Amino acid sequence: MANRNFLIGMFVLIGLTLFTIGIFLIGKRHGAFARHVEFYTEFKDLSGLTKGTKVKVAGMDAGQVAEVGVPDSPLSRFRIKLQITERLRGLVRTDSVATIATEGVVGGSYLLVGAGSPQAKAAAPLSTLPSREPVDMSKLLEHGLVLLKDADINVNKVGAKVDETLDGVETTVGNANDLVVGLKQGRGPAGMLLKDETVASNIRQSVTNAKEATAALHKASGRVDDMAADIQSRGVTKKVDETITSARDAAANIKDSSKQVHQTVAAATKPDKHGVDAGTNVRETLSNVNVASANMTEDTEALKHNFLFRGYFNHRGYYSLTNLSPENYRKDRLFTNPENKRAWLSAKELFIREGNSEVLSSEGKKQLDAAIYKFGESVFDRPIVIEGYSNGADPANDPADALSSSWRRAILIRLYLQNRFPLYPTNLGIVAMKNSPPNGLGYSEWDGICLVFLRPQK
Amino acid sequence: MTNAIEFVGDVSVFSLRAIADLFRPPFEAEQFWIQLAEIGSRSVPLIVASGFALGAVMTLHTRSTLVTFGATAEIPTVQSLGFFIEIGPLVAGLLMAGRVGSGIGAVLANLRVTEQIDAIESLSIDSFKFLVVPRVLACVIALPLLTLIMDFSGLVAGFVAEYAASGISWHLYIERAFASLDWANFVPPTLKTAVFGFIIGAVSSYFGYTTSEGAQGVGKAATNSVVLCSLLIIVSDVVLVQCIAVAFPRTAL
Amino acid sequence: MNPDDSTAVFFQSVSKSFGAKEVLHEVSFNVAAGEALCILGRSGTGKSVTLKLIIALLRPDAGKIWIEQDEITTLKTEELSRVRRKIGFLFQDAALFDSFTLYENLSLPLARLTSKSQEEIDSMVVKVLREVGLAADKKTMPSQLSGGMRKRAGLARALVLEPKILLADEPVSGLDRITASEIDELLLQQKTERQTTLIMVTHDVHGARRVGDRFVVFDHGHLVAYGTAAEVESSDNETARQLISLSS
Ligand SMILES: Nc1ncnc2c1ncn2[C@@H]1O[C@H](COP(=O)(O)OP(=O)(O)OP(=O)(O)O)[C@@H](O)[C@H]1O
Ligand SMILES: [Mg+2]
Repeated sequence: MANRNFLIGMFVLIGLTLFTIGIFLIGKRHGAFARHVEFYTEFKDLSGLTKGTKVKVAGMDAGQVAEVGVPDSPLSRFRIKLQITERLRGLVRTDSVATIATEGVVGGSYLLVGAGSPQAKAAAPLSTLPSREPVDMSKLLEHGLVLLKDADINVNKVGAKVDETLDGVETTVGNANDLVVGLKQGRGPAGMLLKDETVASNIRQSVTNAKEATAALHKASGRVDDMAADIQSRGVTKKVDETITSARDAAANIKDSSKQVHQTVAAATKPDKHGVDAGTNVRETLSNVNVASANMTEDTEALKHNFLFRGYFNHRGYYSLTNLSPENYRKDRLFTNPENKRAWLSAKELFIREGNSEVLSSEGKKQLDAAIYKFGESVFDRPIVIEGYSNGADPANDPADALSSSWRRAILIRLYLQNRFPLYPTNLGIVAMKNSPPNGLGYSEWDGICLVFLRPQK
Repeated sequence: MTNAIEFVGDVSVFSLRAIADLFRPPFEAEQFWIQLAEIGSRSVPLIVASGFALGAVMTLHTRSTLVTFGATAEIPTVQSLGFFIEIGPLVAGLLMAGRVGSGIGAVLANLRVTEQIDAIESLSIDSFKFLVVPRVLACVIALPLLTLIMDFSGLVAGFVAEYAASGISWHLYIERAFASLDWANFVPPTLKTAVFGFIIGAVSSYFGYTTSEGAQGVGKAATNSVVLCSLLIIVSDVVLVQCIAVAFPRTAL
Repeated sequence: MNPDDSTAVFFQSVSKSFGAKEVLHEVSFNVAAGEALCILGRSGTGKSVTLKLIIALLRPDAGKIWIEQDEITTLKTEELSRVRRKIGFLFQDAALFDSFTLYENLSLPLARLTSKSQEEIDSMVVKVLREVGLAADKKTMPSQLSGGMRKRAGLARALVLEPKILLADEPVSGLDRITASEIDELLLQQKTERQTTLIMVTHDVHGARRVGDRFVVFDHGHLVAYGTAAEVESSDNETARQLISLSS
């Protein structure tokens, strides 16, 4: 009897003890028994985060997600309540950023709260921590693949159509054809083709040659624009069909256009009925071509910024001068080559303050004109990069100011040069350099502008 | 066919009666303690030994597999998830179906055959409450406790095996073993064995209590109990796992 | 028809079948209070079944059974307990609880069905065990007893509640003559001293004639003879005459 009860007692005690141990060990990892502090953060995309998801602070297990508030409209975001153990609270600052991270390749996701900076104040309980939207690797890959396929299909089909179309155009437009073929082969127009000088000059040549054919080319490239825009908006198959139809229309149009080309050529030789001479016509048509090719550039541009294509384009040295990344810029010998002609112009010479913002002073304009003049005639054929420098409007302020003000300066200069000289917009690059010029040019710091006249590549 | 359906009906009515009688006084507490000792305490050696053997074997196997992926750090996790979620509950259930199911089947059949059940009834004692209910209840309570013992035996054996292979510390082993374990991986799978316990208790009691043959019936009751209990445990496990997955959508595996 | 006050057990046209096999066919008899009835019959003719019908372990297919004033075939469990409380049953194979000691076998009914104190239970158990000659085997498990000892232990369990009606299924089978007559003496003593109604199934004609007041004889499910020894001896049924005759 006593023996039996002893057995039962042992059995029940062992069982309950093991249960308690299990509960305790699991509870420990959930921080169920630790005192914790609660914070909020918000995400547009949850990436599989749910109630109970682990929370780590600076990589250490710190608690779990206590609640997920679902937004009531697409405008607002998921509001997440997270618990962090008292012990790690000191690491959570007002500038601690919450992100959704993944444990290894196959692991589940967890909420990572970065350790904040010591200067920032400790985040108050129940305050909302800043967040960074998660990058969903799989979505990114999927997106990239679809885009790649779409682009491939469209470029091939449309390329073929455009070839066909343009074959019908008279020899005067023959050179322009090369430009489009160039585009088809993945090379951007005009100013991008820095490393391939022959192609670049071919294109410029062809543009000159094609000036009589502007009207036709403009229309055709307009279609290509539409097509490229469609590639971007990824309306795949239906759009492809539409594009082909449009291209067919374009073909018909170009047949008409070739007639116009003749007329234009004729018009170029004598003043038209409004008395405008050939020179003016040529200038207009030229600017039309510019606009058209700029459009194309922008479209390919978007492509180039896409995650997957970026490497492809950068690798081949096709830069768009309209938006150079300072990081790549500093790295590339193309730009930092000391043999490039440079004109260093200081802010004091160039700008005056007008109210809150800077404007070009007349003295500055003179300096710029002189600099362009010094570069010589070939300045109109070659790319120029405008490097903007600034110490920041107020050095006490945040360093982002230097970036933005150097960017603003570069833009100001580009605007001026574009209006003042017949420079191709795509030949004018700007880059914001804050206050530090690339190494090896003899300047450790600069405040103002540097015009870089890129030397041709061998 | 009609026989089979009738059989299902009989077993169901019998099981429901066991549940209903559980809540109807008088309570046979004394019998319950006797059965808890018999079913629970005396099964511990079997459970511990099996848990140990199984734990060691499982670590040896997972180790040889995971080592090729360089994922030996996951061994404690695999071990604990494996044992807490499925191996512990299921193996404990099957072992008990063998040990306890056959025991209950044979004992009750023997009581029936030797008219002891009649003798109990003639004393105005409700033989169902006296014999069946305590056994069912003892099974329901013992199974989760035995499962816990099985789980932790497996974990300890896993540690011993892993320690022999890589010299891992106990602290790290436990840390990793419980790192990915959730409440839902521990509490529901453990408690689900109460259902296994009920199946063992009710089904084997049914076979024993209702036998109408002589000495042969005793052996038959024992065999049938083990066969049907094992089968029902596995089938109900499938259902229970689904239920747990529905109730704890994210964490249950 | 309700039996009068002096009736202890009354069977009225009771039939009982197991499947297609009819074991009892419209059996009627009555046992007066304090009377000893012996049931005779060849093996498998439904003697044990009759006893089980009396204590309601089996239910008849047709007919009525009265225990004193209660018609038990329609009784609910709770009321049945009250009726059963009056009856002691010695099973044919004793049916001792083999997981209990002899003492526990006897104390269980007392503890369950009476409000006696532990000491009273103790003394009663010892007294009854002494009567059947098993006082020394209090702590023995049933499996360690001989067949005859088991039978006596079973009788002790049937007697321990001091029942008004004692049903004994072959109380002396398998016992030596001396012990058998001791048991008969004990039963007779129950009848005379405590006015216990006795219904006894037996194959031992000597014992039956000594204890029994009246006899029923079963054959092939039918009650073929019913009355005193002399009446049965003069019965026109061959089997009945053979079973009751002393010179077998
Ligand atoms: N529970 C039962 N199920 C099926 N048949 C039964 C049952 N109990 C008794 N029988 C059958 O009823 C018949 C009568 O059985 P019973 O035990 O009454 O015989 P008996 O007269 O006591 O014989 P014996 O002198 O050998 O003990 C037998 O043929 C037996 O097979
Ligand atoms: Mg019999």
